Amino acid sequence: MGCSIRIRGLRTAWIGVFLAMISTVGAQEFIGTRVESLDQSLTPALMGVEAVALSENWSAHTDRVPNLGLSDDVQWIRVILDSKTENGMLLEIQNAGIDELTGYMICDGKVTASFERGVIASSHVESTMGTYPTFPIPLTECDELTVLFRLKSSKPLLLPMRIAGPREIIGDSHQRDVLFAAYFGVILVMLLYNLFLFFSVGDRSYLEYSLFILMIGGTQLVLNGYTSYLQIQSLPWLNHRITHFFGVFSGLTTIVFVQNFLRLSRYVPWLHKLLNFYFVIYLIAFVLAIFGQLIWSYNVINFCAAAIFFCIPGSIITMRKGYAPAKYFLLAFTIFIIAVLVFVLKDSGIIPYNAWTFFALPLGSAIEMVVLSLALASRINQLKKESAIAREEQMRSLQLNERLVREQNNVLEDRVKSRTADLEEMNSTMRATLEELQSAQQQLVQSEKLASIGQLTAGIAHELNNPINFVSSSAQSLRRDFEDLNEVVDAVKTLDPAMEDIGSKVEALKSKLAKLDIDFTQREIDELLKGIEDGTMRTSEIVRGLRIFSRMDGDNFIQAQVNELIESTLIVLRSNLKDVATVRYTLADNLPLVTCQPGRLNQVFMNIITNAAQSMEGLEREFEDNEVYIQTALTESIGQSWIEVRIKDSGVGMPEGVKSQIFDPFFTTKPVGEGTGLGLSIVMGILRDHNAEVEVESEEGLGSEFIIRFPL
Amino acid sequence: MINVLYLDDEAHNLTAFRAAFRRDFQVHVTTEPTEAVRILREQPIEVIISDQKMPKLSGVEFFELIMPDYPNPVRMLLTGHADIDAVIDAINKGQIYKYISKPWNESELKALVQEASDLFHHRQGMASEGAKLMQRMNEARLHSTRIQRLTEGQVELNAEKTEDIARLAREITQLLDSN
Repeated sequence: MGCSIRIRGLRTAWIGVFLAMISTVGAQEFIGTRVESLDQSLTPALMGVEAVALSENWSAHTDRVPNLGLSDDVQWIRVILDSKTENGMLLEIQNAGIDELTGYMICDGKVTASFERGVIASSHVESTMGTYPTFPIPLTECDELTVLFRLKSSKPLLLPMRIAGPREIIGDSHQRDVLFAAYFGVILVMLLYNLFLFFSVGDRSYLEYSLFILMIGGTQLVLNGYTSYLQIQSLPWLNHRITHFFGVFSGLTTIVFVQNFLRLSRYVPWLHKLLNFYFVIYLIAFVLAIFGQLIWSYNVINFCAAAIFFCIPGSIITMRKGYAPAKYFLLAFTIFIIAVLVFVLKDSGIIPYNAWTFFALPLGSAIEMVVLSLALASRINQLKKESAIAREEQMRSLQLNERLVREQNNVLEDRVKSRTADLEEMNSTMRATLEELQSAQQQLVQSEKLASIGQLTAGIAHELNNPINFVSSSAQSLRRDFEDLNEVVDAVKTLDPAMEDIGSKVEALKSKLAKLDIDFTQREIDELLKGIEDGTMRTSEIVRGLRIFSRMDGDNFIQAQVNELIESTLIVLRSNLKDVATVRYTLADNLPLVTCQPGRLNQVFMNIITNAAQSMEGLEREFEDNEVYIQTALTESIGQSWIEVRIKDSGVGMPEGVKSQIFDPFFTTKPVGEGTGLGLSIVMGILRDHNAEVEVESEEGLGSEFIIRFPL
Repeated sequence: MINVLYLDDEAHNLTAFRAAFRRDFQVHVTTEPTEAVRILREQPIEVIISDQKMPKLSGVEFFELIMPDYPNPVRMLLTGHADIDAVIDAINKGQIYKYISKPWNESELKALVQEASDLFHHRQGMASEGAKLMQRMNEARLHSTRIQRLTEGQVELNAEKTEDIARLAREITQLLDSN
């Protein structure tokens, strides 16, 4: 009723496919014109079979193949049989897709036999002859033999019916089996071949093509009654819908295959979009089928089947745009559509019915597959060519890039060169500056050295002046004293006990002695000689000290006695220190020799001792309070022996801020021009060369102490 | 004999100095500045020679010390050349007359002492001459005051006499007029 939809006529190619499939090779004559159907509107819904048979509302069909259309209502048809000629034969309905199909044999108004032959009925396969449902016409003698069919299906009820003997029916069935076996063989080969290609080449279109083949082949399988081979009888839900599913999936795979094969997104975008639309519609049909809306689902599938016609203009456009594989595609689809047309025309009696026309569709489909396979190969070639071109293009652009990069590199290299040159220039400038600085520093160090040498020279000159002064002076005085003595001696020489005036002469001599103050002269001679001895000793001591001090081969490391170095430094400094402070020292007598640069160490001691003295200069206090105390000792610490030299003064000391900077170059507390500020920095450098440790202790107002430790 | 004081911390220098000059001068030597001051106080020292470089006290400092009490003796400084700055300073301030560098040349030193002594005496002479002049000037001043005083008495007398004469003249005039 309300929701019944009838589709009359061959509206789509897919219906053509259906038609083709339900035709048979052997049945020359369909009995469509003998079929009567019950007018639904005049028949009450609930009636017994026999009552239906007695109904008055039967109307005859005029088509060779009656089409009851698509409806979810139960349909009734009947065929009046000739009980004389037709009994013992079989009535065959060449539609394997009818869901519910029950045949009733009515002999003289009585139901004598009934047969369940629908897809839903599990007995279908076992009890039928061949792939199509068949009904045996009973041998009983009847005046009136009628066969009544109750039909219900979610697919179009196309009913190509014939009456034939069992031998003919089985023979035709076998013939069909052979043909379809060949067809499925082709399908299987193509499927496996393309799957193989897919796995070896990896091109997705092979997989799509394989699925396409699978679905098309599956559709043929289902439509021609070979569903039983799928072994899904035990799954009625799926069994019921299998035709729909194959319809949907063959549509989907066709769309995907066509889209990608023809590269519709590139060549015919509008068609690509249109096919996408169809894709979605197919999905809707799928969903409808799942939810049991099988009639609607079928209608939607039918509607979508029109999409196949777009493949023809699509492939033409694509071909025109220079896509070579499209011509194979066009050929394949043209053949297929021609096959469909042949089938349709055959069924409508326009062209003769024979094995070729019957098998046009599977044949066309098989040829289509093969040609499409060629098309795929061509496509692969095309792709290869394109990818070769693309590679070439890429190569060219790479080369171009390379050239650009090379040029860029050249530019960069030039820039790097110029920058390098700049840097080199800067470097050389800096080097020159550095050299200047170094030479300036050297000059400063040198001038510091010269300053200390000057100071030293003055001190030594003074130190030598005193002994030289009194030695030379004493020598002259001695001469005079000896002259006096000589005078006396000469006088004594002239004395002779034999002389008569000896007494007066002795008196005269005595008075002379008194006058010359010979006693004093003798004492003086003694003193002067002592002075000369002392002077010469001191001079030689100074000279020795100086020699030790000024061992200016001192840049070589040799074994030396630290005590000796300190003593020589003190000798050299004595006159400088004399008027500043008292120097006291305690030198350990057990010091081993130490490997050092004696000359440079003397510079260290001289510098520190001079600093010590200077820290006490000009202090308003007793001279006795100014003291430099020097101490040497052998010590042990951190598992090592050290020679320790302590130089302590009672000077002004240093605040922490000064103490932390004393070893910095150019740091000085003296007024500008009086010190280079390099003294202690040089000292530090020398001591570092000796791996010596330096410690400074100082307290403001109390004095400072430098503690130097030389490792042994 | 010229009285010479020699101060030096080096005893051998003192010995050598005395040995060299005892025949020519009255030589006083000491290593101690305090002793030197004592000698100055007790002896009529004309020339003082001091070493510059001494512990406790430098030669210049010693001279500064004695200057207020003993300005007259001529001072000479005995130095090593290192002390030249101190010497220049001292000369510029007029504290010393000459400096002598070590080692000394005996005859030169002798001559210098002689010169210094002469200078001393010259100064002394100048001083005594000045005193004599001053005395004479004072005498002259006294004299002139006396004269002035006498002159003043004379003037008074003169005035009286003038008045007498004038009175007499007036009387004479009156007499003449009355006649």
